Amino acid sequence: MDIYDVLLRDFPFLLKGLGVAIVLLAALLSIGFVLGMAICLTQLYGPKSRFVQWPLVIYERIFRGVPIIIMLFIFFYGISGVVDISAFGAAILAMGLRSGAYQSQIFRSAFQSVPAGQMMAARAMGMSKMSAIRNIIFPQAARHAIGPWTNEFSSEIKETSLAYVIGVVELTRQAHYIITSTQGNILTVFAVVALLYFILNRTGNSLLYAFERKLAVPGFEK
Amino acid sequence: MANDLILDVQDVRKAYDGLEVLKGISFSLCKGETKVLIGPSGSGKSTLLRCINYLTVPDAGRIYLNGEEVLDTNIDAIRARIGFVFQDFNLFSHLTVLDNVRICQIKVNGKRKDAATERAHQELERVGLADKAGAYPAELSGGQQQRVSIARALAMDPEVLLFDEPTSALDPELTGEVVRVMQQLATEGMTMVVVTHEMSFARQAADEIIFMENGYIVEQGSPEIMFTDSRQERTRAFLNVIAEHG
Repeated sequence: MDIYDVLLRDFPFLLKGLGVAIVLLAALLSIGFVLGMAICLTQLYGPKSRFVQWPLVIYERIFRGVPIIIMLFIFFYGISGVVDISAFGAAILAMGLRSGAYQSQIFRSAFQSVPAGQMMAARAMGMSKMSAIRNIIFPQAARHAIGPWTNEFSSEIKETSLAYVIGVVELTRQAHYIITSTQGNILTVFAVVALLYFILNRTGNSLLYAFERKLAVPGFEK
Repeated sequence: MANDLILDVQDVRKAYDGLEVLKGISFSLCKGETKVLIGPSGSGKSTLLRCINYLTVPDAGRIYLNGEEVLDTNIDAIRARIGFVFQDFNLFSHLTVLDNVRICQIKVNGKRKDAATERAHQELERVGLADKAGAYPAELSGGQQQRVSIARALAMDPEVLLFDEPTSALDPELTGEVVRVMQQLATEGMTMVVVTHEMSFARQAADEIIFMENGYIVEQGSPEIMFTDSRQERTRAFLNVIAEHG
């Protein structure tokens, strides 16, 4: 059997691996989104008390300052000693928490780029702070955030491949399984895998850019 | 008549880092009156205006709107009854003109969407921008933006309208269209406090001019008296400078 027959035969496994990567990506981005938004809102509009703010800063520094591969090991081997956690669960948790740290900073700068006068005008008309954030500040911040968020999206797609080190059977690990049965054709297999990552990345980014264009407001400054 | 009193400002004081900007200001405003605050930069006019609706929280003093004291606890409800027009417009930049005039009617006053829409169109008509309902703020000139922000304030049925240097960010050509709208409002009996350097507006539309300097009210009186026969040397000096350069 030459490599192309093998690839053809095993392509469903690659697609399955891609599926796992997509689920991992969706899960970690969702966790990161909720966490990042909560942190951003607390940092900007929450209590100024150190007991609230410092833990957030420490969390954000740690998760932005430690390589993801180390975090994966710590979460998998660390947590599995205490509770039963699958490699997939550990990967979602480690990468979701890390993405939360990054997304909090994307959102924070997006919120801060909304001119102070917008909040002032909303409050001057009797809107509560919550209502002003939801109806006036958030829609503008969201438009500012999409661009930087595509970066986070692209990075995280690629970093799902690292989950392979703790045994998650995602795309990269599937590729390894194929390689072990086809001596010598490593490059061809990885080329196909690279193409799959690339297509996923481009598709996702195209959708995000389309979303950005759909929300575009004439004359609204970037 | 006491029940005509809309706004009563009593002995308001404000300091920033120990620097007193307002040193005990009192004035009142009856229904339908227009009072114009004038004075050199840094005299505390804008701070005073912002203290009225607690955009700047005063250190001391009391403010009453239609007999109800303005407090931290009721501030959102109070603000909904006070229109505020900013120097730099502050239109909501992600919303169309129509939505700008509509959103607070719905979100703050709880109006139904169709009622809010109808009212928004009326107010846009009133400021001469009926044809701009679908435009976004960044597509309008400064003068048009300021007229939209006036419409936005009017649509809330304010008991009093506060203007914070509404024409200072506009070039002379655009100033005229905003001043005309303000004059029309004054004629129609809107209750207004206006901080401005537009002396033509002060002269024609004000029931009373209040001259402030260094955190005090130096002098107040009708435009006729203030422009021709002011008692204070400082008022005359200020008006002369404005007359030469304005």
